[in-house]
Amino acid sequence: MTGRVGIIGIGQSNFQPRRNDASYPDLVREAVVIAMRDAGLDFDDIQAVVYSLSPDAMVGIGNAERLGVDAVGGRNKRFLRINTGGATGISSVITAWTHVASGACDVVLTAGADKVGECGDSQTVLNKIWDPIYERSLPLGTINMLAMSAVRYAHKYGMTQEDMARVVAKNRRHASKNPHAHLRKETTIEEVMASRMVSWPVKLFDCCPQSSGGCAMVLASERYIKQRGLEAVWITGLAHSSETYYLGDRMGRGFTADHADAHALGASFRKSFRMSGIKDARKEVHVAELYAPFSNTEFHSIEAAGLADIGTSPAMLREGAFALGTNAGAVVNPSGGVLCTNAIAVTAMVRIAEAALQVWGRAGERQVKGARVGIASGNGGDHQFFGTMVVEA
Amino acid sequence: MADRPKVGIVGVAIRPCIPDDGRHSLEEHLHLVMHATLADAGLATDDLEGIVVGANDQYDGRAITVMMASGPLGGVDRDILSTPSAGEHAFVLGALRIASGQFRTQLVAAWSPTEASSIPEAQRLANDPLFHRRLPLDELAAAALQANAMEHAAPGCAALAERVLATMRGNGARAFPSLVQADVARGRPTRWPLRADMVPPPVTGVVALMLASEEFIAERGISPVAWISGMGWATEPAFLGDRDLATAPALAAAASQAYGEAGVIDAGTAFDVAEITDVTPYQALLALEGLGLAARADWPARLGEFGPEGRMPVNLSGGVASLNPVYCTGLIRIAEVANQLRGRAEGHQKQGARRGLAHAASGPAMQYQTVIVLEAGERRAAA
Amino acid sequence: MELLKRQEDWKITYTHALGETASWFYVQIRDHAKIYGKRDARSGRVLVPPRAFSDQTLEPTTDWVEVGPGGVIEAFTIVYDKFNNLPDPPYAFGYVMLDGADTALGGFFKGVELANGEEASKRLAIGTRVVTRFAEKRTGDVLDFWFEPAAS
Repeated sequence: MTGRVGIIGIGQSNFQPRRNDASYPDLVREAVVIAMRDAGLDFDDIQAVVYSLSPDAMVGIGNAERLGVDAVGGRNKRFLRINTGGATGISSVITAWTHVASGACDVVLTAGADKVGECGDSQTVLNKIWDPIYERSLPLGTINMLAMSAVRYAHKYGMTQEDMARVVAKNRRHASKNPHAHLRKETTIEEVMASRMVSWPVKLFDCCPQSSGGCAMVLASERYIKQRGLEAVWITGLAHSSETYYLGDRMGRGFTADHADAHALGASFRKSFRMSGIKDARKEVHVAELYAPFSNTEFHSIEAAGLADIGTSPAMLREGAFALGTNAGAVVNPSGGVLCTNAIAVTAMVRIAEAALQVWGRAGERQVKGARVGIASGNGGDHQFFGTMVVEA
Repeated sequence: MADRPKVGIVGVAIRPCIPDDGRHSLEEHLHLVMHATLADAGLATDDLEGIVVGANDQYDGRAITVMMASGPLGGVDRDILSTPSAGEHAFVLGALRIASGQFRTQLVAAWSPTEASSIPEAQRLANDPLFHRRLPLDELAAAALQANAMEHAAPGCAALAERVLATMRGNGARAFPSLVQADVARGRPTRWPLRADMVPPPVTGVVALMLASEEFIAERGISPVAWISGMGWATEPAFLGDRDLATAPALAAAASQAYGEAGVIDAGTAFDVAEITDVTPYQALLALEGLGLAARADWPARLGEFGPEGRMPVNLSGGVASLNPVYCTGLIRIAEVANQLRGRAEGHQKQGARRGLAHAASGPAMQYQTVIVLEAGERRAAA
Repeated sequence: MELLKRQEDWKITYTHALGETASWFYVQIRDHAKIYGKRDARSGRVLVPPRAFSDQTLEPTTDWVEVGPGGVIEAFTIVYDKFNNLPDPPYAFGYVMLDGADTALGGFFKGVELANGEEASKRLAIGTRVVTRFAEKRTGDVLDFWFEPAAS
């Protein structure tokens, strides 16, 4: 590899429940224009585009990346699309990194958008992610699937529903400081507990919203950044890892991944840390943007990231850890996280964007003071695909 | 780029026409092909460091279909990505992943089942609901629009297309005698000027390649190897109305990238063998031009050079004109060239092929264009 | 300005080949009301539902093993919201490790009053013994059977 790869431009929408004023490619364009302006580059400078789009059915257009070619200025350029479900956004940034790290390109744009609010029933689409031979006949959806993770996590470690509600209250408080977040109204543990039960033990307020908006990032080689005198933050570690497709194989006897935990997310973080030279995440990481679409899954994500021992993060949150203003270790999801904004195709890209803004010192009211090392993650499939990244100032 | 680590193709498994006898699920087919690819490379599953698949939800009937594919291809506890834009994009990304130094090996795979009630219907889902969804615009219709545009721009294309088709079918019948017939009766028009007999019906196919770094190949003493010496890929815009369908600017861009990397000065004389994606014979002609092999004015005079006995045979496999596993036809072209250079093309081997050209196209009227230059490695005697 | 919307639906069907392994499994359920797993020879684990290969060891599975009808709950949820194309709530489903199996099989839970989530969740707690019940009319699907808490 020839030198480091830096992030030189970031753009994201102010995410909304619906965007009747903008078509799907319009939303992609919105984020791309902001990122290009942020990078201070022209489209002629872009050598390749990595298009971030998860299930086609969610936007209701097959191979909708084709429609996005002009929105990203991709005509006659290197262009390909990535899909790893909810992890797509981070997989796309990792793929953009690969374009630069391989020496194939110096400047790469990655972008996407989603209009989840336009999909009649996202859980109907998401039922189709399961195998038609054995699992699709069951009433599986992502909510039910991760509710079962909550049941197992609570059984193993004693997490309560109040613990889950505490994650929501923290993240909504964070989101209130983030102009890009979709749900920006603060809430309380009592309000979460009083919200209607959707899929035991997950209540309405424990769930992410369905958001519309886009995200884009520009990556460049260190050589290019120095030659042009550009500002950047650096990608110093990255990886993916995967679990089995079959939920029932993550329980029983002799399994390697427990559906309670996030086994492959932990493996991916360990690979990322090794690449970036992080030895003790608890001491060295200042800010973490972790993909957690349901309140319960933030706990096993924190533990997989090495910010808490397995099963101990609910107690640490009770003590005030992980919240903006804490003096004890990393702040988790200062943006409000996926719980407050979920435009599926770019949700995991927003995690990197937010971690990058933090170590860049550009996170406004949600800034973690003195953050120099940030981490991000994305989860996709039925808790199957995990991507992780370390960004540093 | 000069400093990019070399990447070689060390294993190939091509299943261009799998009988739909119901004995295996798609997942099981992928698993069998994964093992066949590793066996062809002389490697074991422990050697597998990462996977990239080109997987299309609408053809498979599964949302995020890479979820299904991960387990059978060795994705558990490994790094697997999917490029739904095109099967051949998986190859591009797999090669980049090794060149980045992050991996030493990658398995690259694509497939195309025939389990959908209608593949044209699956393709029409790709039309945007704003302007094009209500039109009868499937990929064959887009190819027909392109064929008409070509005949208009270069009168006489229709007759040349017949010559190309006959050559491809002849090649296909030699390469896959049990599956392909050289002479097919002229059929009814399907989407003018295309006839039903010009484009074979969709069949189930799976293809996979094992890629490895130069260092890994040397360490294991792997042979034969097809080395990647140039890669280019580029896209046209989405709306057909924004394009001149009789030209292929994205192909010219992709070829320029690949030839620049490989140091190819004159494509017309640089290659011993080529495989191009010819969903229609008109697309074959356009590819010959876009790849710099023959300008349209030279088509009538030079088509013979690309025949089976010509200077540079094109599609000794028979191409898409012979076997059409829709979504993996592009990756199969790359795999076919790799096998030619590895001396493993069996009945359709071009003897002594040293440098090969693979062209892949996907999407309506060849929206995505990919060009790969491959070179044969030094043959070493088995130890 | 007037902002227009358009409703679109994807109408396409797929006929998926189940392959020999899943076909045999479903025929046993349909014709004999019996559930079988397949053993991964390298790890010794019995995979239920049966797979032709193990995604952990990447080796083919070997012998068929009859499992159940008893088992223990490994995961559950109780759904109280209505989703398109899914049953009317409330309903409970989850995963059960049948006796003789090493992985868990998905299915509905019946025989438990679901109106009160707190009470129902105790009756379906992880580790609870269940038995498999089969429908009279079976089509060869995972909906041909369900799980009920074993009489204690």
